[in-house]
Amino acid sequence: MSTETPQSSDVERNVVERLRASPFLQELLSNRIAVFGLFIIGTMFAVAIYARLTYDLDAIVDTMFNANPTQAPPSAEFWFGTDGQARDVFPRVLYGAWYALKFGTATVLASTVLGIAAGIVAAYYGDLTDNVIMRTMDVLLSFPSLLLALALVTIFPESLGLWRAVAALTLVYTPRFARVVRGAALKILEDEYIDATYALGATDPRLLVRHVLPNCLAPITVQSTLNYGLAIIDIAALSFLGFGASPGDPSWGMMLSEGVERGLFSGAWWWSFFPGLFLALTVLGFNLLGDGMRDALDPRMRDTVD
Amino acid sequence: MVSKRFVAKRLLLLGPVLFGVATVVFAILHLSPGDPALTIAGERASQEFVEEVRSNLGLDDPLWEQYLRFLRETATLQFGQSYQIQRGTPVSSILANRLPITIELAILGQIAGLSFGLPLGILSAVKQDTLTDHFTRVGALAGISVPIYWSGPLLILLFAQILGVLPTSGRISSSYFVDTTTGLILVDTLLEGNLEAFRSAVTHLLMPVVVLGIYSMAFISRMMRSSMLEVIRQDYMRTARAKGQGEKITVMKHGLRNAFIPVITIIGIQFGSLLGGSVLTETVFEINGIGTLLVTAIEQSDYPVVQATVLVFAFLYTLVNLFVDITYSVLDPRIDQ
Repeated sequence: MSTETPQSSDVERNVVERLRASPFLQELLSNRIAVFGLFIIGTMFAVAIYARLTYDLDAIVDTMFNANPTQAPPSAEFWFGTDGQARDVFPRVLYGAWYALKFGTATVLASTVLGIAAGIVAAYYGDLTDNVIMRTMDVLLSFPSLLLALALVTIFPESLGLWRAVAALTLVYTPRFARVVRGAALKILEDEYIDATYALGATDPRLLVRHVLPNCLAPITVQSTLNYGLAIIDIAALSFLGFGASPGDPSWGMMLSEGVERGLFSGAWWWSFFPGLFLALTVLGFNLLGDGMRDALDPRMRDTVD
Repeated sequence: MVSKRFVAKRLLLLGPVLFGVATVVFAILHLSPGDPALTIAGERASQEFVEEVRSNLGLDDPLWEQYLRFLRETATLQFGQSYQIQRGTPVSSILANRLPITIELAILGQIAGLSFGLPLGILSAVKQDTLTDHFTRVGALAGISVPIYWSGPLLILLFAQILGVLPTSGRISSSYFVDTTTGLILVDTLLEGNLEAFRSAVTHLLMPVVVLGIYSMAFISRMMRSSMLEVIRQDYMRTARAKGQGEKITVMKHGLRNAFIPVITIIGIQFGSLLGGSVLTETVFEINGIGTLLVTAIEQSDYPVVQATVLVFAFLYTLVNLFVDITYSVLDPRIDQ
């Protein structure tokens, strides 16, 4: 048997060439705003991983009355000051990046997967299945999202902590993905290669996963990116309102809640300022990238006015 | 012209959606782990008393009976009595007091968002890919990215505490007594002709409205920009320029009118995040609307209040979207398909 196995460098070159040739990526990388967003997100991921590897969670959650001054302003020793429990704010804010990205990723992943399943099944089976799934999604979409999340949070036991917010927001975001996926899938299902695959005897799951899903990925990616920022800001909002992180958790929402309530108006602005700044920056990163992706996918945005 | 068929169709769809919304709310509250009977009776109440409370509330009836009763009560806007927040008070009267407060905040936020978002979007489109455009776009995205529960407290710190030019919280200074006629504080103070009170209300509402308005401004300017960009390239725009019409008039007269139509739909959808934002704004600025009511009700397991508040929020959102769709069909008759 003499099959030609391409050298790995060939494969790499091939991939690079294909990436270069992709108008979407070209468009995206030439968009300075999107690249800036990508840069912020990359930095935050680095910060998150660094914090996760460097700091011991217990050490930054425990009160430090014996070791540190309480509510000390930023200094050479405590870059972001200390909070009401005498904890150093700096490592907590860095660790908050890990929390935000971990729980944000979980929310986006879960709602993407559920949305894909619901959307593709609705598009493929049509009729009653489509109607039942999509009307349910319509009902969920008739609630303002944060309010539905607030109501849903109550279903899950408090002991779940931030996973409670993840579960509630997953249910809130799923309909958006389902809609996007269903729309894309309906278009693809009309293509001839789908008929061909079907005629070759492909099973439903194979047809949907191998042939329909890969072609829906572009709109799904944009939706995921835009929802990533939203997930992070909404998880923090639920924590701020008291439904999510537990007191002392190094999550930006909880630090904001504690810092605003107990520190901000008695002079300790740093307690809530830095968590909020990092939160806003992270969300901005995802919004910049998502916006750039949408422009890159939208042919109307390509040419400037002649 | 309004197409009667379109409006009729939309109104007919309203029924099933509201029915679905009510069902979801019922399901959520019955899936919640808390026991309302125990909450009302108190932790130390005897078992018999808890059971008595339970049967008084009808919570020991079969689930379908409770569901039908809930639907009937919802349809007639009877939401039962509050368990905790104002024990024994009909929920509908609590809502009647609080709802106008939230509506006023949302409307003012929307007005602020529109009056800054539309011009910024147009400016951004007309100057596409210039520094002004980039600045406006990044600014808009930043506006969506900054959480209300961070910018709000920082504004309070700056304007109320450090500069001392604005009040920290509430809707009006406690030294004014204004009769509730409409429930909208700006309207009520004007109706009484009390300009001092009106000024106090304005200064109180300024920061909450700005914080909420920035949020919707960002959405609207983004949508206005992309809509305007599309319109600018249309043939009729070129024709208008070719006949020698000035650029400003072309953009304002031919462009704006057509570009505004798609923006209207986004106003409806974005109203949902405005309502979510109002919950956070009310919490930050200690305004007693239905947003803070909901948060308190969830904390205290006051189920009838939670139920009613979530329903009212969803109804409000659905009605605004219905209104938006109808407006849309009036402005663009092609939509009637």
